[in-house]
Amino acid sequence: MNSPPDTDKVLDIRNLQVSFSSIAGATRAVNGVSLNVRSGEIVGLVGESGCGKSVTIRSIVGLVPSPPALFEDGEIWLRTRRGMTETLSLYKNMKALRQIRGRDVSMIFQEPMRSVHPMMTIGQQITEGILEHEVVDPAEAYDRTVEMLDLVGLPNPPAQMNRYAHELSGGMRQRALIALALVCHPQLLLADEPTTALDVTIQAQILELIKDLRERMSMSVLLITHNMGVVANLADRISVMYLGRIMETGTVEEIFKEPAHPYTQGLLASMPSLFSQPKTHLQSLRGVVPELAMAPKGCVFADRCPHVMPICDETPPVVELRADHSAACWLYDDVEASPGPDAATAQPSLGGDSTLGDASQRVEVIPLTKTEPTAHADQEKLADSDTDQLQIENVALHYPILRGLLRRQVGTVRAVDGVDLSIRRGETLGLVGESGCGKTSVGRLVTRLVEPSAGRIRFGADGRLEEITHIPQKEMKGVRRSMGMVFQDPLSSLNARMNIRNIVGEPLMLHGMAKGSAVDERVGELLEMVGLRAAHQSRFPHAFSGGQRQRIAIARALATEPSFLVADEPVSALDVSVQAQILNLLLTLQQQLNLSMLFIAHDIAVVRHVSDRIAVMYLGKIVELGNAREICVRPVHPYTEALLASIPLPMPGLATLQEMPKGDLPDPANPPKGCRFHTRCPYSQPICEQEEPPLLPFADAVDHFGACHFQDELHLQGVEEIGEIHGPAAAGGEE
Amino acid sequence: MKTYILQRFIQMIIVMVVVMLVSFIIVELPPGDFLTTLREQLTEQNVDPKVIDSTVEMYRARYGLGENWFFRFGKWAWSLMKGDMGYSMQHNRPASELMGERLSLTIWISIATLVFMFVIAVPIGMLSAIKQYSAWDHSFTFLALLGVSVPSFITALVFLLLSVTLLGATTVAGLFSPEYVTAEWSWAKFVDMLKHVWIILFIVGLGDTASTIRVMRARMLDTLGEPYIDTARMKGLSGAKIYFRHALRVAINPIISSIGLRFPQIISGSTIVAIVLTLPLIGPLLLDALLGEDVYLACSILVVLTLALVIGNFLADLALAWLDPRIRFES
Ligand SMILES: Nc1ncnc2c1ncn2[C@@H]1O[C@H](COP(=O)(O)OP(=O)(O)O)[C@@H](O)[C@H]1O
Ligand code: SF4
Ligand code: SF4
Ligand SMILES: [Mg+2]
Repeated sequence: MNSPPDTDKVLDIRNLQVSFSSIAGATRAVNGVSLNVRSGEIVGLVGESGCGKSVTIRSIVGLVPSPPALFEDGEIWLRTRRGMTETLSLYKNMKALRQIRGRDVSMIFQEPMRSVHPMMTIGQQITEGILEHEVVDPAEAYDRTVEMLDLVGLPNPPAQMNRYAHELSGGMRQRALIALALVCHPQLLLADEPTTALDVTIQAQILELIKDLRERMSMSVLLITHNMGVVANLADRISVMYLGRIMETGTVEEIFKEPAHPYTQGLLASMPSLFSQPKTHLQSLRGVVPELAMAPKGCVFADRCPHVMPICDETPPVVELRADHSAACWLYDDVEASPGPDAATAQPSLGGDSTLGDASQRVEVIPLTKTEPTAHADQEKLADSDTDQLQIENVALHYPILRGLLRRQVGTVRAVDGVDLSIRRGETLGLVGESGCGKTSVGRLVTRLVEPSAGRIRFGADGRLEEITHIPQKEMKGVRRSMGMVFQDPLSSLNARMNIRNIVGEPLMLHGMAKGSAVDERVGELLEMVGLRAAHQSRFPHAFSGGQRQRIAIARALATEPSFLVADEPVSALDVSVQAQILNLLLTLQQQLNLSMLFIAHDIAVVRHVSDRIAVMYLGKIVELGNAREICVRPVHPYTEALLASIPLPMPGLATLQEMPKGDLPDPANPPKGCRFHTRCPYSQPICEQEEPPLLPFADAVDHFGACHFQDELHLQGVEEIGEIHGPAAAGGEE
Repeated sequence: MKTYILQRFIQMIIVMVVVMLVSFIIVELPPGDFLTTLREQLTEQNVDPKVIDSTVEMYRARYGLGENWFFRFGKWAWSLMKGDMGYSMQHNRPASELMGERLSLTIWISIATLVFMFVIAVPIGMLSAIKQYSAWDHSFTFLALLGVSVPSFITALVFLLLSVTLLGATTVAGLFSPEYVTAEWSWAKFVDMLKHVWIILFIVGLGDTASTIRVMRARMLDTLGEPYIDTARMKGLSGAKIYFRHALRVAINPIISSIGLRFPQIISGSTIVAIVLTLPLIGPLLLDALLGEDVYLACSILVVLTLALVIGNFLADLALAWLDPRIRFES
């Protein structure tokens, strides 16, 4: 066993076992992981957070702090310039390990914002790496660094050499870090969630770059992500990891078309995609990743698996389904060679209202009613309640930029710069755009958390629309009773020092709607409504997981029985399965309570999934507005097209072909003249730099508006809906 | 960068002017004319009336007494700048004479304490972080805790006690051996001072050193946990390069920016020690002046100390800007 693998492999991890010792005892974070990467291959390692992906990948290069880590078993073979090397045994020989780092294997990390040294120039940091490994004179190192910066697509490389981290955006930093990682031409790049912290458009650019560099530098890549979509168009093979174990390994086609392991199936079904039926429940995995110490014996997935059987108490075997496809699951124990029909029946049916679907949501989500909302039902509903609940007209929000000792105003950020929107009763309006384009500001304006600089806001609690633009806060308090708010970060939006009863009950007491034990009762109801236990009232926010905290935030927002809800990135900070649970919950509640909703997110797939209409926002302006599905199938504004193109589709081979938006979001304090998108627009014409296009109806379509000079001429590419398919995984079955 | 320096410089001037104004107001505050008081005092001391007249006249001219306040302030400030510190009522001597050596000694000892603190605390704190939970770390964490919690006058008293009981010393206190106290400055006197000064540095600097060790350790630990340190590790850099080139410069930042604040701490800390050990520092003189309502002396000392503090702060700001590009680019 202790022999080097064949030379085709760049990396071969065999039966890796890593434990962490703590006062509470040892927990095994990586439990027998085997994984390999072949020459020129991109391998994706996918799984929810806390499953041991980072520990695995960091073990390869000795970046796991030990203690507390204990490497109990396994081998990690890495192809280096000196031949195959076992790196675990190098831990005691730091010098040898250091020679490998950066030269034979490199790594990029999740947080580009914090991964560049704040006090050294980009040039210093990259040349330092060259000089560490090679005997070259500084001038040559300098030239090579400039060349590398050019290769990763940073504009004006010589100028970048002297810049510091704070002068670069997140995307540019990640590019610089990729340059740093690759400057010594390693054969293997380890990428730990390299795009998770970035905006969707920037994520798409970085993924494209990694793909491109793989070819040009003939290297292999091991990419960690929790987002199935990211690997679909990038990876050749995928390993799915859960609680320290590999659940399934296969080629990207097999994993997406015939996912065998129930965990893989669940991950795929949890993702809202541009093909899913909007406003239907996602087939989410139930529950959350348990603490390592609480993992079930036998199959670690047993407590969340819809197919769990008595035999699952024992550790499942790794079954070879095909040459390059294996799964660790008892379902396939007797199938051996062909997963064939068994595999197919084993898949939970992903559409409709199968009993399996209900069962899988038994614990966390309230049982769904038989009549799931459909687009059809929505239209009927809209027709008979065609009154607006909220109207904003030409609203603006300008923040002064203050500098210096005297806090002089040196400029203005036009966070919102003349926006008209309306939301009908019972309707969900999705607001989408990159971060920094003003979405949150719109949400804060609507709820009057900030004072509008211009324009008019009208809101109808339950009857007529009333002007609330400048009403005093005292009156606004009454209006807020009809408005609920949910924010992105569930932890910081809940007061850590208050227990759940007071957090959820606070609005009730504030509005004098309940007192004493009546509060307890109502809070209990609310908690059950969002799928928590009424008995948990006395606990504090820290005792809950991210998803549960978001449920608490939703319960609080709904305490006063509002008719209108603003949800600002409510799922962005959550893992896919939890994200699906929260989206399902919002959809259910919206239907039950007939809520109108302003749903804000940067991910157009998520927005499409919950919205009736979508407004696309760019640098303080609405650039496109229309029916949710219509916008995704037939976008009229190039920015919408770009947003759609940046969504990694969970379907291999279906990469969108459009050009990615170039560069970063411009400085909102100094937006480009004319069409604000012209600096990044692939269709830009001279007129675009001069004249600002107004938001006009698109051709003959009712209710579809765009703000592009050429919207009637351009034929932009949307994402075609593929029939009436209900889930991403099922889409593969059409072949 | 230039605007930054200019900004800090202007800030420094503003602080100085404000402090001088306040001092001036205090000086002018006590009821009764300074000249009347002076005249009374001199008469009491049976000074020749002619001398009294000329002395009083001299002060009237020098401080522009009788003119408007603005003019008086200008005169006062100007004479301060020329090194004329005013007249001590209590000691009946020009303040500058009283301050003389004490001032320079105080400033030197403060700077020496700062250097002592840096040289000792930074490496210890850094090593404690690098070798977290080692025996080294545990012992220095304990010592630092002790150092922070024991007030310096206790240390001074313990030191006094120990040297008297154990070493049988008769003259432990002071900055000089008895034979040099009144002697002229000479090489021998300087050497003699060096022999005494380290113990003073130790006593005065102990608390600050201990707290700096703690700050340095915590900052270094934070810094070593930053993702950019992982980036540095992944380049294949050696430990020394990571610690010194990448981590140290970030970790040390708050310590440098606190220099300006350490200065008054050291001066007030050294005052107590100076009283216990009868050292010729400025602190006891200031205390004395304050207790005796000797306004000219007190205000002059305050102004001079503020000046030292403000300059120290300014230098720290420059050092920070040199270290940290974010500050350089801020303006
Ligand atoms: N330094 C450490 N000390 C103790 N436990 C750790 C440490 N690093 C990771 N773990 C534990 O190991 C498990 C796997 O973590 P990680 O590899 O970061 O997961 P992933 O990358 O899949 O999100 C988690 O339970 C985590 O708490
Ligand atoms: S082994 Fe059992 S519990 Fe585990 S995934 Fe397979 S069916 Fe589910
Ligand atoms: S107006 Fe011009 S720049 Fe703006 S989106 Fe349309 S084509 Fe592009
Ligand atoms: Mg991770």
